[in-house]
Amino acid sequence: MTSSYTLSDRDRFNYFLRSFSFPFPFPFYLVLCRRRRRRRRRRSSGAKMSRNDSKYFSTTKKGEIPELKEELNSQYKDKRKDAVKKVIAAMTVGKDVSSLFTDVVNCMQTENLELKKLVYLYLINYAKSQPDLAILAVNTFVKDSQDPNPLIRALAVRTMGCIRVDKITEYLCDPLQRCLKDDDPYVRKTAAICVAKLYDINAELVEDRGFLESLKDLISDNNPMVVANAVAALAEIQENSTRPIFEITVPTLSKLLTALNECTEWGQVFILDALSRYKAADAREAENIVERVTPRLQHANCAVVLSAVKMILQQMELITSTDVVRNLCKKMAPPLVTLLSAEPEIQYVALRNINLIVQRRPTILAHEIKVFFCKYNDPIYVKMEKLEIMIKLASDRNIDQVLLEFKEYATEVDVDFVRKAVRAIGRCAIKLERAAERCISVLLELIKIKVNYVVQEAIIVIKDIFRRYPNTYESIIATLCENLDTLDEPEAKASMIWIIGEYAERIDNADELLESFLESFPEEPAQVQLQLLTATVKLFLKKPTEGPQQMIQVVLNNATVETDNPDLRDRAYIYWRLLSTDPEAAKDVVLAEKPIITDDSNQLEPSLLDELLANIATLSSVYHKPPEAFVTRVLSSAQRTEEDDYPEGGEAGYSESSANPANGVSSPPTARQSAPGSATATPPSVAPVPDLLGDLIGMDNNSIVPLDEPATPTGPPLPILVPASAGQGLQISAQLTRRDGQIFYSLLFENTTQVPLDGFMIQFNKNSFGLAAAGPLQVQQIQPGTSASTLLPMVMFQNLSQGPPSSLLQVAVKNNQQPVLYFNDKFSLHVFFSEDGRMERSSFLETWRSLPDSNEVSKDFPTIVLGSVDATLDRLAVSNMFFIAKRRNANQDVFYFSAKLPRGIPFLIELTTVIGNPGVKCAIKTPSPEMSALFFEAVETLLAG
Amino acid sequence: MMISQFFVLSQRGDNIVFRDYRGEVQKGSAETFFRKVKFWTEDSEGDAPPVFNVDGVNYFHVKVAGLYFVATTRVNVSPSLVLELLQRIARVIKDYLGVLNEDSFRKNFVLVYELLDEVIDFGYVQTTSTEVLKSYVFNEPIVIDTARMSPLGPASIFMQGNKRMPATAITKSVLSNEPGGRKRDEIFVDVIEKISVTFNSSGFVLTSEIDGTIQMKSYLTGNPEIRLALNEDLGIGTSDYRGSGAVILDDCNFHESVHLDSFDVDRTLSLVPPDGEFPVMNYRMTQQFKPPFRINALIEETGSLKAEVTIKVRADFNSSINANTVLIQMPLPTYTTRVNFELEPGAVGNTTDFKEANKRLEWGLKKIVGGSEHTLRAKLTFSQELHGNIMKEAGPLSMTFTIPMYNASRLQVKYLQIAKNSKAHNPYRWVRYVTQANSYVARL
Repeated sequence: MTSSYTLSDRDRFNYFLRSFSFPFPFPFYLVLCRRRRRRRRRRSSGAKMSRNDSKYFSTTKKGEIPELKEELNSQYKDKRKDAVKKVIAAMTVGKDVSSLFTDVVNCMQTENLELKKLVYLYLINYAKSQPDLAILAVNTFVKDSQDPNPLIRALAVRTMGCIRVDKITEYLCDPLQRCLKDDDPYVRKTAAICVAKLYDINAELVEDRGFLESLKDLISDNNPMVVANAVAALAEIQENSTRPIFEITVPTLSKLLTALNECTEWGQVFILDALSRYKAADAREAENIVERVTPRLQHANCAVVLSAVKMILQQMELITSTDVVRNLCKKMAPPLVTLLSAEPEIQYVALRNINLIVQRRPTILAHEIKVFFCKYNDPIYVKMEKLEIMIKLASDRNIDQVLLEFKEYATEVDVDFVRKAVRAIGRCAIKLERAAERCISVLLELIKIKVNYVVQEAIIVIKDIFRRYPNTYESIIATLCENLDTLDEPEAKASMIWIIGEYAERIDNADELLESFLESFPEEPAQVQLQLLTATVKLFLKKPTEGPQQMIQVVLNNATVETDNPDLRDRAYIYWRLLSTDPEAAKDVVLAEKPIITDDSNQLEPSLLDELLANIATLSSVYHKPPEAFVTRVLSSAQRTEEDDYPEGGEAGYSESSANPANGVSSPPTARQSAPGSATATPPSVAPVPDLLGDLIGMDNNSIVPLDEPATPTGPPLPILVPASAGQGLQISAQLTRRDGQIFYSLLFENTTQVPLDGFMIQFNKNSFGLAAAGPLQVQQIQPGTSASTLLPMVMFQNLSQGPPSSLLQVAVKNNQQPVLYFNDKFSLHVFFSEDGRMERSSFLETWRSLPDSNEVSKDFPTIVLGSVDATLDRLAVSNMFFIAKRRNANQDVFYFSAKLPRGIPFLIELTTVIGNPGVKCAIKTPSPEMSALFFEAVETLLAG
Repeated sequence: MMISQFFVLSQRGDNIVFRDYRGEVQKGSAETFFRKVKFWTEDSEGDAPPVFNVDGVNYFHVKVAGLYFVATTRVNVSPSLVLELLQRIARVIKDYLGVLNEDSFRKNFVLVYELLDEVIDFGYVQTTSTEVLKSYVFNEPIVIDTARMSPLGPASIFMQGNKRMPATAITKSVLSNEPGGRKRDEIFVDVIEKISVTFNSSGFVLTSEIDGTIQMKSYLTGNPEIRLALNEDLGIGTSDYRGSGAVILDDCNFHESVHLDSFDVDRTLSLVPPDGEFPVMNYRMTQQFKPPFRINALIEETGSLKAEVTIKVRADFNSSINANTVLIQMPLPTYTTRVNFELEPGAVGNTTDFKEANKRLEWGLKKIVGGSEHTLRAKLTFSQELHGNIMKEAGPLSMTFTIPMYNASRLQVKYLQIAKNSKAHNPYRWVRYVTQANSYVARL
């Protein structure tokens, strides 16, 4: 099949599309296109436009749409073809060309497949907004579904399934019925998937028209691709139905196992996963199944291997012969290990699965521990998983080797990994009694290196070792005590205090040691306070002398009267009462023998493990959570309809689904991009919408802004940061500003030297908002006595500095003639206030209430006078500090505002003042009170005008 | 088993391709994904894992050629299927476009979307075989100027230096023809080995491993059958003993087009190579082999606030072979403030650097000739007294390199036979070997 138009045509078309440089044929992604276009414009500015380009871009008086309409109805084939391409191109850049629906549909009747695909593309996009007109296309679809060319038949049925318009769905049935029985396998396999599409739109229709039966028939198809798709479609339908639809019977099983050998790799996965639901009747059948699946372990596709492993593990449960089981374990080991030679992404999935497998069947990989040794270039997520498995596979036989590795890891650079390695040593000590001593000596060696976090981590695990083996290793306490002063992490401190209390009778100066902690008792975290309380009580019970007695009074007082923590208070009261009524009983309680702890490295509950093992090779086995915990499939097609609508600018980002129990699934905690309050979707109308295609989804932190924007900044002159005297004749004025949701560094260079300056470059040091230049500095040569100004687009969160937020921006500028100039700038926080910071009253109130009072900070500006209210509100609104409400309180006016910092940090602001009189009180509430100092600075600047 | 969306993002988070197959996941997903990945490093250490869940949407990604290939879904799919699929999509697109980068995507987006519609239907993968796709895809690629492009993939190393290698193959589209219009009949077979070795402080090998691939890319006309013969005494699995000195693989797997009928007898593979680049065979070997480099690293205190590092590297291979782009890195104690390097007299093509930010020593060697030995001395100055064992605060040393025409496993393609149904002339056959360091580490 060759397309009928010539290469030059195609070139021209592609060139044309390229000139738009917009790769999304689907209008949903319009939001992005303005950026893209702008950038293009910038890039190509200066390049001459080819004649072809100008032809497409030229607009006649008539306007584009009527002109296209005329071309679409041209009597010349070529012209019509050209026109459809223009329409698609216009569609991709976000123009509304839906009014041409009828005309485009008229072009559908073509033999040219490439053109047909484009028309179909247009249809999928606009059918929903023009359902009545879409009916016009039905005839052609129906006709195409009977075309002699199988590719056209398949294309018709595939596309119709994608048009989710009810009226069309009815017409889909007959062609679908035919295509399910088509002679060509390509058509049948497409039709099989189409049944699943239809079921998703209208399940009843599928059942009424008997498509399920046709689908089941396709399981016996002679083409494996068709079989695979039929299985996939049936599996999906079954998943969404409560009735038994796709049951694997013995004949189905044998058919599918046969198809398995001829299928493509992907089909094999579909089939293996469908078959994994099958419960074999007895051991013999299980063995038979396993025998036919085992060759899949040799497949190069990791998905096939893992699905086969799942199948085998499941059937193994039924197999009684230990020989067979042993043999299978032996067969599974090499392919599982080979998965670790794949890309790191696949390795990660494999490791998460192996973690489960070794919990059930440790023998499979018992001899392979070496392959789980970390490579220095493994990504951290792979290293962490490997450590976990190494602990699980550690045994008396290999512990020396394993310890050697752990010791090595514990001196690496990556802090998280190092900590985990130290913990791993402790866990091995707890797991393997005979190796405990060796583990401890490794830990002591590590403590001697005196790397702070290693020491702290070691103390935490040693506490567990003491609990596991009481009265065995206490001789090392002295070494631990040497490091007392360096402990600054709560868990490490708490562990050390526990050790001191537990062994108070063996530590001569236990009272001194504990006393050193007591001074800071009120400031300690709860975890440490609780341990201090218990340890002091233990000390007192063991050494009821005067020192401890005084200490206990201090502690009990601190832990009852001076605290708000109910846990601490209750525990303290219980001790107090015990001590005062019956000290002997207190001894029995506090110094009672503790239950022996065990290794927690096989931490999954057996029932959960069972469920996860049944879900090997699925996401569930990666998250180690049952599927219900994270699958939140949206089923209602009605709901979807709304979303799919052509986005006429109305999209305010993405709305967060309210029902999602899966929040905790991703392992490390993540910065939620929307703080409480803002999750209630900021109303879209609030953002100033100068252009429908604007950056509505808020990708403002890396959006590209045209540099051909007027480079002369308006407004007040920029502050001079480097006077000519300090800059060897180059004077630099600069300020951070915000325009249209984008942050710029507005710069003015004045050359007072005798030579032209060129080759300007700029660099920003790490700063609290990670501000960095989004592109190179665009400054041409500056002649002596002249100046140049520019707006440098900035991005955020590129090079973040640690530590408390600061408004300091350190900048370095260089050019070809002068040495590097360093200077400091101080920015005002309000440039970060985002356009979507407006809150509804209700969400304002809700957010205010939801934030604890400790998050409220206030400050007085004694000299500021608010004159005209309207002017102030306008000025604040321009800086994205939005007025919400106002009330009067005695003679004072109270104003409420909202503002929002990037990453959705809201600020709720209350201004109290007497209009016309000096003195404004500003109170704010925010989840990030550490920003308040910067915030007040900014408000002060804004209010002062 | 289905995905909901597929998209490709640039390193900066720009949307390059976005295809929604099922409309179940909101459209902001690309942005949600990018933020999550971008800020992962700040929340904890290191890269985001390849699979994670945000608000009920599961995100899968792989990074190929600096681009993020991402899929989303709401259901409990097979993650290895999706990740493997993402890799394959990247490969298919590369087969078509010749090179994989932002520019080639942008210029060919109509073709890319056409491909994506054939590869995935309603979220279900249909085929990822370039060969099969050729019958359904009608757009032709606009090949971009490859001269400027940085090559990609393991085979790209053939483009560096070694002039005997034809450089075009790797960036040639499966559809493209020679300038004269005639298709050049040729086939490439690359044996690519990535080796991992860990030496202990006394220079003994603690662990060693080879991950190998026989990669094939065929431009032969008429789909002839090919026979590929490997070492006759090749053993697979530890129980498969084939005499002393034999190459023994731990495990291997094969591309689905490979017939293994006579593999057990004479270790030959036969196949009709499909279009596009694909791995004929992957293998893994932990049998002892001779590491190409011996590394000796020493760190000694030479006074208060002073220490000296000595690194010796010996190339243990034939002098007719050169290793190139060698880089040796070693973390130094965190309180190191200054490093003075001392190279051997007459050393050429060496670069030395002390990376202040992460306190790392870097020693680059453009080329190492087989049999030669190189030494670097570095004098360190510290800002504070040592408080323990200096050996524990530096290292381990790691090394990356590429050695063309060398393979550590001794696995060989003994012959490459093309069935004689192609016309008179003899097609070009390229069998190439290359060894790269994966994790090559010496502990102190």
